[in-house]
Amino acid sequence: MDELAYSSRMVDWAPLGKLLLVMCLLIVGLITESIVVPMITFVIGILLMAYSTNMKIPLILSLAIGEAILIMIIGSGMISIMGDPNEPALWEGQILWFKIHMTATSFNKAWIIFIRAIAGVTLMLSFASSTPIPHLAQAFRSLHFPSEITELIVLIYRYAFLLLERFLVMIDAAQCRLGYNGSLTAMRSYGGAMAGTFIFSMEMAEKSEAALACRNYNGYFPIYRPPRKMSVMWPIVAIGSAVVLYVFGLYSVGWIDMQQIFAPLFGW
Amino acid sequence: MSDSLLRTEKVTFSYSRKGAKVLDEMDIDIPVGKKTAILGSNGAGKSTLFSVLNALNKPASGKVYYKDAPMSYSHSGKIRMRSEVSILFQNPNEMMFKPYVEQDVAYGPENMKLPKEEVEERVQEALFAVGMEAYRKSPIMKLSYGQRKRVTLAGVLAMRPSVLIMDEPTAGLDPQMAYEVMEIAEQLNSSGVTVIMSSHDTDLVYSWADEIRVLNSSKCVYSGIPEPFYEDYQLVQKAGLLMPSVYRMNRTFANLGKCELEPYPHTQSQLSVKISDRCATDFGVMNVVKVDKDTDIPALLASEGLEGLPIGIYGMSARTARNKTEMSVDFMYNGPENCIRKCLSGEDSVLLCDPIMVDKAVSSADFINGNGYGKIDVRTV
Repeated sequence: MDELAYSSRMVDWAPLGKLLLVMCLLIVGLITESIVVPMITFVIGILLMAYSTNMKIPLILSLAIGEAILIMIIGSGMISIMGDPNEPALWEGQILWFKIHMTATSFNKAWIIFIRAIAGVTLMLSFASSTPIPHLAQAFRSLHFPSEITELIVLIYRYAFLLLERFLVMIDAAQCRLGYNGSLTAMRSYGGAMAGTFIFSMEMAEKSEAALACRNYNGYFPIYRPPRKMSVMWPIVAIGSAVVLYVFGLYSVGWIDMQQIFAPLFGW
Repeated sequence: MSDSLLRTEKVTFSYSRKGAKVLDEMDIDIPVGKKTAILGSNGAGKSTLFSVLNALNKPASGKVYYKDAPMSYSHSGKIRMRSEVSILFQNPNEMMFKPYVEQDVAYGPENMKLPKEEVEERVQEALFAVGMEAYRKSPIMKLSYGQRKRVTLAGVLAMRPSVLIMDEPTAGLDPQMAYEVMEIAEQLNSSGVTVIMSSHDTDLVYSWADEIRVLNSSKCVYSGIPEPFYEDYQLVQKAGLLMPSVYRMNRTFANLGKCELEPYPHTQSQLSVKISDRCATDFGVMNVVKVDKDTDIPALLASEGLEGLPIGIYGMSARTARNKTEMSVDFMYNGPENCIRKCLSGEDSVLLCDPIMVDKAVSSADFINGNGYGKIDVRTV
């Protein structure tokens, strides 16, 4: 993710500006009743992500997005089949002890929640895939966040890399000593690798602490190339677009009825 | 069947799809039963080659052959391969898997599904071989770098491989420990293990290796005995290496007309005797005493009338027997070379030797005896 962020075409954009834009779009997508607004924010998120990554999203990230969408589909599906029993049902049934009651309202509600969720994912990913953690920390510092929290974020982020590196080393160490010879041995080796990762990473952390101390670390990671500061244009664009979308949302309620769209398909 | 035990054929490998090639159509062969050193500067591809030979990395193209059969990258193929070919990483921290010494050493044999008793025996033996029995129950986190290196070596020895790949095994070790590691490598080779070692230390490697392979810019640029490679000064420079000091001095003396270039000495004592003008007849006698684990060394020395002579030690069983008696030894490391040095000064010496290492110990006098530089009597007891 960090590698992706540093190679992003949006890496030089002001982190606070990006965060403000993303938050404004997220909030406006959540507070409007119209499904059109989250659809628009979803498209903006996709476009930003495409621009940020130059259309080269790593496979692992694509899989993670796919997994998130799958979870949201399941969640939205659950919402859609838990409609108000007083309303007329589009689809009714029972699976074991679970009663299914899908209504037009629950179906539309499920869709709006789904679109909001994937819009949120794409917007947040466009931000995450273009903002290295040190830039984010710098942004927090400029907002006068408590330094303890900011530095803790940076340290946790760095520690995550130590853990990952150590885990990969442990996997290799196990491989060359037949650690995956049989399923039981493999399970033991994975367990050992996980436990060992923490044990040995503690030592690495101690050494890292010493390495930081001998280079005069005093609770603050200076940033070599500071990111740009937020110009006045960012709040104007972010808040302006949020206001425009909100007003548009007020007028566009009911423009798209998902139940009507799917009715011919399911015979409702 | 060819003499090659391990062979690569046009192997290409890079760590990322668009990354630089770390191995570029590399052809290399490792002869069976020999001590082969892989030389090359940092970044030449030595460690990557080893990871390919151990099936930790699969080449993008080309093939790796083990015993003339192409390496299989199926799960069972890799397990079979790694049961016979073991690797010792340069950094011991990258090999540690368990939190305690004995657990870590037992990890490989346990994975080989050996009976508990055999695992115990192997752990005991391997820890002894590297001099770490006293630390058997210690947490690995409390060990120094050198001690960790010994533990990882024990972990590999406990697997009793047919081929042992050692990636810079002496890097970061004190000189005595470095000699001890070389002695272990020598002993393994004497017991039939093919040993492959990478190193920057051309001095150490020159006295040890039967053959060398030199890597440069992701390719193997030289294969064979060391001398023709060191003859080509440009090639040595290009490979980022230095001539071994013994080789360089021998060459200098030859240029000064002090001696002939050949035969090539491989140790300091061989060089010393070669450049001395005299063909001495008053060299001392080297008594090579075969010592099993249970030999009572003081009693044996007394019965042979060898008490009071300078004593060197060579090999695992000799060290075990010596530890039991705790007798003083003059040369704990590099025993044959030090005993020969004593003989050159006219003194007799005793080399307590593992029976499996006797031929190697005796052959250390061959250079002097076989080239007319004098006569060191070698008496095997």
